[in-house]
Amino acid sequence: MSKYPTSVKKVDFPEKISGKAKYADDFVFPDMQYAKTVRSTIPCGKIKKITVPKLPDGYYWISAKDIVKENVVNIIFSDWPVFADGRVNYCGEAIGIFVGEDKAILDKLCEEIKVEYEPETPIYDFSEAYISKGYKKGDYEAAKKKAKQVVRRTYQTGYQEQAYIEPQGLVLYYDESGKMTITGSMQCPFYVKRAVMRTLGLKDDEVRVIQPAVGGAFGGKEHYPSLIGAQLATASYKIHKPIKMVFERYEDIAYSTKRHPSKTEMEALIDENKNIIGIKSKVSLNGGAYKGCSGVVLSRALIAATNAYVIPNLDISGDVYRTNTVPTAAFRGFGSPQTIFAMEMFIHHIAKEIGVDPLELRMKYLAKQGDITANSGKFHDPIVLDKLFEKAMEMSDYKRKIAEYSKPGSLRGIGMSCFLHGCGFTGSGESDIIHAKVKVSKDENDHVTCYASSVDMGQGCRTTLKHIVAKNLGLPDDEVEMDYPDTDKTPDSGPTAASRTIIIVGFLMEKAAKNLKKIWKKGVAQEIIEPYVGPSYIHWDEETMQGDAYPSYSWGVNVVEVEFSPVTFEITLKGVWSVYDVGRVVDERIAVGQADGGVLQGIGYGFMENETCVDGKFKQRSLSDYIIPTTMDVPHMETAFIDNPFIYGADGAKGMGELTLVGGAPAVALAIENAIGKEIHKIPATPEYIMEVLKDGKN
Amino acid sequence: MVKKYIAYSLDEALDILASKDVYIVAGGSDMMVQKKNTAGLLPKFDKDVLYVSHIDELKKVYEDKDGIHIGAGAHLSDLENNKLVPELLRKCISEVASVNIRHFATLAGNIANASPAGDTIVIDVLLDAEVVLVSKKGIRKVKAEDFVLGVRKIDRHQDELIKELIFPVHKFDKELWHKVGSRKADSISKLSFAGVYSLLGDKVKEFRCAFGSVAIKVMRSHELEKEIEGMSLSELNAQKDELIEKYSHVIAPIDDQRSNKEYRQKVAMNILAKFLDEIIKGGK
Repeated sequence: MSKYPTSVKKVDFPEKISGKAKYADDFVFPDMQYAKTVRSTIPCGKIKKITVPKLPDGYYWISAKDIVKENVVNIIFSDWPVFADGRVNYCGEAIGIFVGEDKAILDKLCEEIKVEYEPETPIYDFSEAYISKGYKKGDYEAAKKKAKQVVRRTYQTGYQEQAYIEPQGLVLYYDESGKMTITGSMQCPFYVKRAVMRTLGLKDDEVRVIQPAVGGAFGGKEHYPSLIGAQLATASYKIHKPIKMVFERYEDIAYSTKRHPSKTEMEALIDENKNIIGIKSKVSLNGGAYKGCSGVVLSRALIAATNAYVIPNLDISGDVYRTNTVPTAAFRGFGSPQTIFAMEMFIHHIAKEIGVDPLELRMKYLAKQGDITANSGKFHDPIVLDKLFEKAMEMSDYKRKIAEYSKPGSLRGIGMSCFLHGCGFTGSGESDIIHAKVKVSKDENDHVTCYASSVDMGQGCRTTLKHIVAKNLGLPDDEVEMDYPDTDKTPDSGPTAASRTIIIVGFLMEKAAKNLKKIWKKGVAQEIIEPYVGPSYIHWDEETMQGDAYPSYSWGVNVVEVEFSPVTFEITLKGVWSVYDVGRVVDERIAVGQADGGVLQGIGYGFMENETCVDGKFKQRSLSDYIIPTTMDVPHMETAFIDNPFIYGADGAKGMGELTLVGGAPAVALAIENAIGKEIHKIPATPEYIMEVLKDGKN
Repeated sequence: MVKKYIAYSLDEALDILASKDVYIVAGGSDMMVQKKNTAGLLPKFDKDVLYVSHIDELKKVYEDKDGIHIGAGAHLSDLENNKLVPELLRKCISEVASVNIRHFATLAGNIANASPAGDTIVIDVLLDAEVVLVSKKGIRKVKAEDFVLGVRKIDRHQDELIKELIFPVHKFDKELWHKVGSRKADSISKLSFAGVYSLLGDKVKEFRCAFGSVAIKVMRSHELEKEIEGMSLSELNAQKDELIEKYSHVIAPIDDQRSNKEYRQKVAMNILAKFLDEIIKGGK
């Protein structure tokens, strides 16, 4: 029997193994031009003068003055200009692009252009909030009066770079009908389409976006491709030729969006019986120069502020701060890795400070079905966290190890995190804003094709979505087709983000397939367009942040074991054990792939991945300096899933893409803390930081 | 216009070197990164290039009365598996970059690059290797320690080619290579340490240590080594802290994108202290 009994062969295996898969840079068109970006060299100031060198024939300089309709990138909050107009707000901001057929000449033009600035004083600290949100539960102030003890800590997290294999890049060309068409590395074809429409003032049928193979995204290609798309489309308006722009690796690391660095100040109220009666959390996120999607990132960060624990009185607030640095945006977890790290460390630190066992303290506040959420909604569905814990304890031998490693002189350490992740868009956003649709059709030969705008960026959704349809139609997988999304053919089933693909799009595919089966007529072309109808009991008020924050939650427990070197302060991973409730697993091999990759990306975030910004510039600009774990850093890993089907998910499946990342950082940080005997308050907990902690840290 | 030459024999290479100022490319694993250009464009060479990777005469590894000769064109992965190659060097090589880079990188290329983070240079210097340079005019031998002058600066004349490195055959009681990178593989050193010693009774007969990535070049103190040699183990124990203090001035680490000077300073001395402890314990 296969190790993964529910798994089918991934549809992209043959094309990727043979090298036939086409990525952005593989597209070549007759008379194709290249584009290269001229970027701001200062963090903040007015542009006084731009002196463009004499352009050879067939070369163009495209900048703000060439904007056709609107100089903004269509993101949730559209404040990011396509090209800097009169001023720059971060090092690396696009001032314009040179377009022409020879890359060497473009490089030369980029060197020769002269931009004169009137520099202004940049902001790098948390001093200018530009988005603020918050909510309360119970009565925190009243609880504070009753508290016998107050515990306080501040936690910080750093940047994280997505480090996808394929850098950012798009190609614009004209399809057989002459329509402007964009292909390339992206997560959300309809986002790119809408960004181009808005910047150029085009109608729905005047631009087409086709997504090819994508070499990883992790959130980094949710919004940034909209910027590139809008730039290329602006250039094409003048040039009318195919144009390609693919980033160099340094360019991608130095100037594309990353995870928001954060600071979370926490306060816990403890009563005379050592109960936590209240938690106050103030979250600060570094949003960079433009807001973009940071408001939604802040929402998710705040909703996750108390993680999987139910506490009666809460005062949760947060701000996103403007800084003169590269804008931060979507990254797997979307705000929750920051606050879940803080809460997981905090509950451990509270336990130590009030003198109770950290594990017991956690268990006391774990969410149960029917409990009131932080946002005063309800945990509607069954919660099996106790089973997750039991399995994780058994797999990792946690209790024996924590007792042993807590003895003085032990260089081993073990840490555990438990966590939740809200699946899909916030609140009733799926029903009210996204309005996702999928299509399943068959031709006269009864050949079935399914259509969704979900992007397979390696996570395997082309395989799983197709599999869901095949299974529900009672057909073998290879008798169902699913092509790459094409906005001319594919209905908008929403972005590939927020762990929504299987729970929302998969659910729609299942319904569409079932409905097609009901009306199935042999030898007749038929189609089903299935719109999303979510659970009717989900209500959410975005303004007050009250109600059901997500349609459903996935859950997890991670245990990480490490060894510490007192000579070099280095940490070696010794074991990783994970247990997840993702409803029901659709394809085990794909699920394990997501789980192992996700937890490792979270662990890397916790102790290894270091991106520092000095004077508005990133110091690590290559994959030899921005360190992510290699296979040699990966220890023994075990992953288990506990079945807990969700009635509104495909065959019971919930989301899992982001869930698997959020617990890695606190688990490894707690393991390090256990090994060194001092509190960790900041990630990445690099050897340099551990050295500092050992010198002056809190026991 | 930049010209590129591929030499198939040493003579052919020396002829080119006699008349032209060229970049010499063996494995190219560092050179091609230095000369990297926008994807799809040729590397950015600003003068002619001589490729020497096809010269069989440069790939020889053998032992004679002068020591172990390691040809300039031998790939690190070949050396890693060659029993003639000093064990400490093989240990060091096994942690250089990644498997695929070791398949074309060379020992000579590593020292010729003279990066402060070049790992094998630490061993070259520690084991008193000699760099053998050839030109039409003849042969010149330079100690590895003197060959590297500074960051990316070496004592090579324009017409010279590194033919080989010669390592004296010498056995020590104990040898240590300790690389501190930022992960377990494919990592550039934050700092590195190599040390060797031999005892005679309860006295230190021989002692050497060298530090990498903590100064503009590999640092070794002959003065301090002489001071330690001849010490009894109890004297070494008594003077350990003082010696570490003295060694702390031998290195001059900096802050960069990989680490900071405090960490490099502290950890380099921690490793030295551990090494000295092992020597002290070794006599008991």
